[in-house]
Amino acid sequence: MESSKNGRESNEEISEKDENILSFLDSMDTYLTLMDSLSSTLRQGWLELASARHSMGASRINSTLLDLKFHRASTTLQVNEQSAGPDRELPHFTLRKWASSNNPEKNFEEAKFGEDELLKIKSNSLRRRDTSQSSEIQARSPESVGTPVSVDDLAQRERSKSLSMFGTLVSPKLRASQVSFETGTVATLFI
Amino acid sequence: MYGFEALTFNVHGGYLEAIVRGYRSGLLTAADYNNLCQCESLEDIKMHLSATEYGPYLQNEPSPLHTTTIVEKCTLKLVDEYKQMLCQATEPLSTFLEYITYGHMIDNVVLIVTGTLHERDVQELLEKCHPLGMFDSIATLAVAQNMRELYRLVLVDTPLAPYFSECITSEDLDDMNIEIMRNTLYKAYLQDFYRFCQKLGGATSEIMSDILAFEADRRAVNITINSIGTELTRDDRRKLYSNFGLLYPYGHEELAISEDIDQVRGVMEKYPPYQSIFSKLSYGESQMLDKAFYEEEVKRLCLAFEQQFHYGVFFAYMRLREQEIRNLMWISECVAQNQKSRVHDSVVFIF
Repeated sequence: MESSKNGRESNEEISEKDENILSFLDSMDTYLTLMDSLSSTLRQGWLELASARHSMGASRINSTLLDLKFHRASTTLQVNEQSAGPDRELPHFTLRKWASSNNPEKNFEEAKFGEDELLKIKSNSLRRRDTSQSSEIQARSPESVGTPVSVDDLAQRERSKSLSMFGTLVSPKLRASQVSFETGTVATLFI
Repeated sequence: MYGFEALTFNVHGGYLEAIVRGYRSGLLTAADYNNLCQCESLEDIKMHLSATEYGPYLQNEPSPLHTTTIVEKCTLKLVDEYKQMLCQATEPLSTFLEYITYGHMIDNVVLIVTGTLHERDVQELLEKCHPLGMFDSIATLAVAQNMRELYRLVLVDTPLAPYFSECITSEDLDDMNIEIMRNTLYKAYLQDFYRFCQKLGGATSEIMSDILAFEADRRAVNITINSIGTELTRDDRRKLYSNFGLLYPYGHEELAISEDIDQVRGVMEKYPPYQSIFSKLSYGESQMLDKAFYEEEVKRLCLAFEQQFHYGVFFAYMRLREQEIRNLMWISECVAQNQKSRVHDSVVFIF
């Protein structure tokens, strides 16, 4: 009787350890997939930037045009600890993209994720190794501003504003480069 | 009279035409580009270029090399050749050669003004200016607060002064005003250059009119595509188009109201010389448009060398060298970023 009880317990321990190992391998796979995706996205972004420089000319795209005046960051990440039960706290991530420089409290694309949700999203969408760009975080709750169309328009306006240091009439390649780096920022959050 | 340049051209221009044709034979060939495209590192590129006319300019550069260094040194060679031609030229060729640099002068003015607006150091900005566009009082641009001051303090004594009449305001300089200033100046410059070439007459007028008209049309297309989705109004967009070229005036009217790349394509395909350019692109795509335009430009520039006794060869040579430097820049970037599979996306073969 005792030996069967011990056997059951050791089976349970083994099965728990197996689960932990599987979960760890799963996380490793997700991590490597994300790193691959991030690397590919950043390579794409750098090449598009070089392409924009080739198209517009070196005098229009170079580091001396970067704005040294004080300005608010358009994308911020806030990490809070939230209680997930007794003796357990999970980090909670809030990514705010393209906050208006005129009205910083107005966040045009906001996504809030707890760590568990992030893991779920990662495991569902990034199971297979995929070298294509990872998808952007979709705004789960456009609670901050009206309709999704106006959110996109205003975000686009903020994107154009941040590129204006290179001029207001910039090549579509430079805009594509901006989108690639924006995607890379989001992928970094997942990692 | 057109057709009789053979009698008189060589008196003043014969020597320099021979010089520029000699320079032209030094342009990189397809074999050179094939070797460069197979390089594994920037040091390899430097080694291959050491066997070309760029050799003396790169040989003393220390490792590690950067792509910007390669571009700077290759540009120095172009500047040296230009200065050698300019110092030997008499009128009207000397004025023609000076006209070639006004585009770079405009770029440098905008670079200094934009950088100053962004609180950058003037010395840092001067290092990034194109050497062909430098002039004596360029550093003084940093003190101007608006276009009126820009003109009064600095530009009134430069060749760009006549081009400022259309854009002098007392509004403070900001990103949009600077962009409009850039494009308005360039429009005025192109039109002035066009009128000057027409006054020269003969083969110079014929060949340069074609090349400058293509440049004006390409600018119109680029302004249209780059302004899609921006705050630039249709009227402002129309004002930036030149008053000559194949697209003037009806094509400009249609381009001014275009809201996406497919509408631009619809406008351009009505003009036979541009049908071949847009036939290379798929619908909704604009990535390869630059390369298609560069290829067409190179074709027209190479044709300029098929005729003698005109000044178009000088303009064509300068532009072909600039294209070559762009090619080298792109190859260097692809090699440095380990993206050699993309190297043929933007390289335009000249021969």
